[in-house]
Amino acid sequence: MKATREELLDIIYQCLDGLNEQLANTDQIQKSMETPLVGEREGLDSLGLVNFVALVEEECARKYGIAVSLTDPSPHEDDRFANVGRFVDFLFQRLNNNLL
Amino acid sequence: MPAVDSVSSFHGEVFQTLLDEKAPAWSSNPDFVVVWTRPEGVLQAFRDLLSCSRVSDQDLNREVDSYAAALLRASKRIRAMFVPTWVIPPFHQTQGLLDLAASGGAARALMRINVRLLESLAGAPTIYPLWTDKWIQLGGPAAFNYRLWYLGKIPFSNEVFKAAARDIKSALRGLSGQAKKIVLLDLDDVLWGGIVGDAGWEGLTLGGHDPAGEALVDFQRELKALTRRGILLAIVSKNEESVAMEAIAKHPEMVLKLVDFAGWRINWRDKAENIHALMNELNLGLDSAVFIDDSAVERARVRETLPGLFVPEWPSDKRLYPRALLSLDCFDRPSLTEEDRQRSRMSAVDRERKRSRIDLGNLEEWLATLNTRVRVEELNQANLPRAAQLLNKTNQMNLSTRRMSEVDFDAWAREKTRRAWTFRVSDKFGDSGLTGILSVEIDGSRARIIDFVLSCRVMGRKIEEAMLHVGINWARAARVQEVCANYCQTPKNKPCYDFFTKSGLSCRDGNMFVWDAAKIYPLHSAIRLISNDGSTFEKTSADINPSESIRVDDHLRESEVSADLTHG
Repeated sequence: MKATREELLDIIYQCLDGLNEQLANTDQIQKSMETPLVGEREGLDSLGLVNFVALVEEECARKYGIAVSLTDPSPHEDDRFANVGRFVDFLFQRLNNNLL
Repeated sequence: MPAVDSVSSFHGEVFQTLLDEKAPAWSSNPDFVVVWTRPEGVLQAFRDLLSCSRVSDQDLNREVDSYAAALLRASKRIRAMFVPTWVIPPFHQTQGLLDLAASGGAARALMRINVRLLESLAGAPTIYPLWTDKWIQLGGPAAFNYRLWYLGKIPFSNEVFKAAARDIKSALRGLSGQAKKIVLLDLDDVLWGGIVGDAGWEGLTLGGHDPAGEALVDFQRELKALTRRGILLAIVSKNEESVAMEAIAKHPEMVLKLVDFAGWRINWRDKAENIHALMNELNLGLDSAVFIDDSAVERARVRETLPGLFVPEWPSDKRLYPRALLSLDCFDRPSLTEEDRQRSRMSAVDRERKRSRIDLGNLEEWLATLNTRVRVEELNQANLPRAAQLLNKTNQMNLSTRRMSEVDFDAWAREKTRRAWTFRVSDKFGDSGLTGILSVEIDGSRARIIDFVLSCRVMGRKIEEAMLHVGINWARAARVQEVCANYCQTPKNKPCYDFFTKSGLSCRDGNMFVWDAAKIYPLHSAIRLISNDGSTFEKTSADINPSESIRVDDHLRESEVSADLTHG
């Protein structure tokens, strides 16, 4: 079974909900494709990003039954956390390569 | 609960941060700190033990003691320090029979170092250990999160941190005097199952071999336990009072007796209206109460009408009542005093006292019959915990509403130009305990009343005037020209303002009340003032101005009041 982009976006939004529970009202992460995940002035701080990645990995393992590491170094995917839309693409490729 | 802003110290720099007061973590002058460490992170000996090296008890003890000493040292510069107990992940406890072995057992060593740490920190007035095991249990099987650990050196899952945050918030509410003080309870389908007006007390579900009945008895036991922690109970129920009272008195499975309730409103009127009246009667603010009712309609009505009141959602399944009560994290207090344990009994006594007032009608006649004794003590190490508790939680009769830790209050009062006293009140009905605090500061030719704090339990019985008498007498001995009290308004301390407007002190600029120190402030004839230390007033006056001190006996002669200051 291949993961769809819609399913992965749901997972990402669900994980952002989990993070937002812990963030102050002023620091909430918007759920949109353009929302940056990292950046000098926007996005998550380092602990937030670590939390987010761990949540997504756990949810993917639960839903698709495979362990996937989303922080492996890869020169072609340095911009994977640029924004939510880019991360969906990255996750889609990484996950479906594993699922094939 | 005010929002909490956090600053974290650098990873792995526990000792450096604790010992160096110039470390970056202290630069923001935090109100409180959480020092949550992994035992293998701060104790080299424990790390060795986890890797099955031979470690002596002495080495382990020495490292625990060093860590405790660092915590104690750092705690002196902070109002509150929370120290979660140590835990280790399950994969460190896989030696089977050796886990609890006297030599090398990691689980056994963990228990021992936790106990040693707790004992080392016991008595430190600003350190509050927290129980991490509870958070781990609430975090479930994934409480220790290996992904997070290897990604960011975060040992636990978010569920653990959420449980910890709930407890820390609750502790902060307790420390800042925002803990709830009273639980208002419905009767039918809350304290017992069924409608007493229909079924009669004999037909109620309570106790016996019935899952709901057993759960309701347990629920009552937990409520009873709350009363031993100083939380009051009261009843707000739509019922015939006589029928409900009969059930409480006669049902053999009732854990709670009438004496366990500080008050009640059992009638057919609107519950919000009844709650308002009851809280006024008990001299408690609405925001100090929790209202428990099985009816969603009543909960919504009370929530909407009395927004300050805490109305938790309540399960429909009675078997979940005990758990629902235990999960309310709003009763935390930093310490438990004898006054807390006795509060429920004192409240019943107070109800007797008020009934006697109704019988007598005239206030002066009633006061004269009470045989009120007020014991005055200077602030000391024995009364400091209760005094700090009272200072931090009293809202209504509180002149300046200062919130201070035991350490800070003690240090403040030790200045030569300041004095702080505590007041214990008793009368023919019983002992109300330590219920008042007064502090005065000499500032040139003027004495300033800084803290004027009185529990609502004894308000309106001329104790306020007795406190002013003591403070003004001390200030007069220091030869000041006037004694002033600056009222700092809060949303809750209007009763204090009302008292000062009628106190005889002249009002200046709205919030400043002044007494001409050439005059004695009289003590009400119904009050018997007792000092534990007869030399107290003489000594304090000498400290301020040795050449002009006056003797305690002179005070009494000058005051021309009937106060009996029992020496010794």
